Amino acid sequence: MSVSFATLQAPAAIPELRLTPDHTQIFMFSAATWNRHHIHYSKDAALAEGLPDVVVQRALIGNLFARLLTDWLGDAGEIRELGWKVTQSAVPGRELTVSGTATAIESRTNGRDIRCELAITDAQGRAIASGHALLGVAS
Amino acid sequence: MNDAIPEAARALIGVKKTRQCEVTRRDIRRFAQAIGATDRVHYDEDYARTTRHGGIVAPPLFCQSLTYEDVPPSQLPADGSPLELFVPIPAQRAVGGGSEYTIQRLVRAGETITVTSQLKDLYTKQGKSGLLYMVVVETLFADATGAPVAAETATYIKRV
Repeated sequence: MSVSFATLQAPAAIPELRLTPDHTQIFMFSAATWNRHHIHYSKDAALAEGLPDVVVQRALIGNLFARLLTDWLGDAGEIRELGWKVTQSAVPGRELTVSGTATAIESRTNGRDIRCELAITDAQGRAIASGHALLGVAS
Repeated sequence: MNDAIPEAARALIGVKKTRQCEVTRRDIRRFAQAIGATDRVHYDEDYARTTRHGGIVAPPLFCQSLTYEDVPPSQLPADGSPLELFVPIPAQRAVGGGSEYTIQRLVRAGETITVTSQLKDLYTKQGKSGLLYMVVVETLFADATGAPVAAETATYIKRV
């Protein structure tokens, strides 16, 4: 179902995304970003640092928000700004729900700016991350 | 609350490091796979040519893959954490805190991106289990003409 961004009104819910980062994804993301920090591949090291398991990278959390937004936008526009804060470590094998709301929409010369508030929660409803974004869509 | 920041660490704030990275289709493909992006615009040149992008483009936060300098492991701290967040403070257990990322345009295969990073700020915060050191790193990404393509200000949290 495609969204009509020309007529969209705030507030508007963004269709949520459910996904479960696993060890393979965390490993691939460390490799792709050449992040050798041991808390992302060694459970023993992560536990010794007081973490619950190896943890999903801060940067990968940002990409989960980016996927929510690009899935919603399709070809209609792009992400201009994306900010996020990790509030609790995400660990492999736990399902996450990525959600968002378009909270404000402003028209500009060649399109519209959409401001969004974003959140990631785990299956127990605990906050894993919060975020905000500015999207640009063409008119 | 910056009394706990040693002078040697504070002296690193604002010191810039610059390097250049060539971006290949393989880099884009691997980053896209790592984040679970399935859009063919990251993988398939023939398809990508038919889109508004006119060719393969990277996912929006792709420049994250250029952020950490690829020094040999012997030059990394003992925990393997990136050099960019290594500062002489009495706390080295690090986790990622947050990020502010701005995007001017998507990166294309074949581009050379100039990466400029600097320690932007260092401050402390009282956490539940003790003093937290906040390490703020800014990374700017520019194209061959010097025009910015993206910027990220990342905050890392370090505990004793």
